[in-house]
Amino acid sequence: MGADSSELAQPGQAESSPGRAPEKGTEVVTEVVTEVATEVATEIATDGTPERTTVPPPDSADQAVENQGVEQDPGVQETPEQRTARFERDAMPLLDQLYAAALRMTRNPSDAEDLVQETYLKAYGAFHSFRAGTNLRAWLYRILTNTYINGYRKRQRQPVQQPTEEITDWQLAQAEQHTSSGLRSAEMEALDRLPDSDVKEALSQLAEDFRMAVYLADVEGFAYKEIADIMGTPIGTVMSRLHRGRKQLRDMLTGVARERGFLSDAEVAS
Amino acid sequence: MSCGNPHEIDCREVLGELWLFLDNECNHERRELLKRHLEECRPCLEEFGLDEHLKALLARKCGGDHAPDALKQRLRQSIREIMMRQVLGAEVSVERSDDGTVVEVAISVERHAWPAPER
Repeated sequence: MGADSSELAQPGQAESSPGRAPEKGTEVVTEVVTEVATEVATEIATDGTPERTTVPPPDSADQAVENQGVEQDPGVQETPEQRTARFERDAMPLLDQLYAAALRMTRNPSDAEDLVQETYLKAYGAFHSFRAGTNLRAWLYRILTNTYINGYRKRQRQPVQQPTEEITDWQLAQAEQHTSSGLRSAEMEALDRLPDSDVKEALSQLAEDFRMAVYLADVEGFAYKEIADIMGTPIGTVMSRLHRGRKQLRDMLTGVARERGFLSDAEVAS
Repeated sequence: MSCGNPHEIDCREVLGELWLFLDNECNHERRELLKRHLEECRPCLEEFGLDEHLKALLARKCGGDHAPDALKQRLRQSIREIMMRQVLGAEVSVERSDDGTVVEVAISVERHAWPAPER
């Protein structure tokens, strides 16, 4: 993990300050904190409105070390035991959800386990900077997504499909035609008859960015703004990805339903 | 694109905003306007129904996986180890077996007495 962290961090930031010999334990934690802080710092520099983001930015690692004992952030005053208890109480119950998301990202159980483990260790390392009362679930998803995109995906064997997308077309593309009555209900019934595995398989066929957007919106129920924060993209991009992803999914599922004989050709409304 | 009947807003416009409606991303006024349209326009309502159905289908069938217990246990253990290293400033390893929990603490005092080792 150490090698990965320094590989991901900005040049010069992964190293400890000169002349200070960190204890072994501190060293590990500082590394992961620096990495998360660097990712978030980059984002703040880009959009310039950190106070409006749903996902709270962790303080920089140096600051966190200097501020220890100073009454500034409630998280900083905590003892490691208290912080650990808070993490176990608040973050651990979300593990199943994060794992499910990791499974949809990686499409492979053992990769999903690794991804979730890395995510949780990073989150624990940066937990002192997480502001109580803000959205912990979104914060964890943000770290999960960053971990996946910045490091994990590179190591994965499966080639990544790059979606072609245009931000402005989502609304125009929706201008679909009405179809005659009756066909829609046949399509709905056919979709209901599909086994879970078919639906999951169809989702996994989507290009990665579409897949994540659809998953975050429809399975996790995140708002567009939250998805934008988690994926580090403008809201327009989120909407475009959702629109295209859902359209593709619907076409795919209708196709599968037809293959399975749940829907005759005459009943396919398109 | 329109169903031919007179409406407050055009069907094309409504179809373009169905997902905003379903995702709860439009304001109250817009929502009411779309709702009125859907009540009086059957083709738009059917389209809406199918999208709504798809959203519910995904929610029902694509989540709900459980992380393996081994992963949960491994994580808790790692977190405890990191915490104890922070508290004690020492090498700590925690092992659980049927006989109970073994905590090994190795404190290296000279770490503080010598200059920083090369990394």
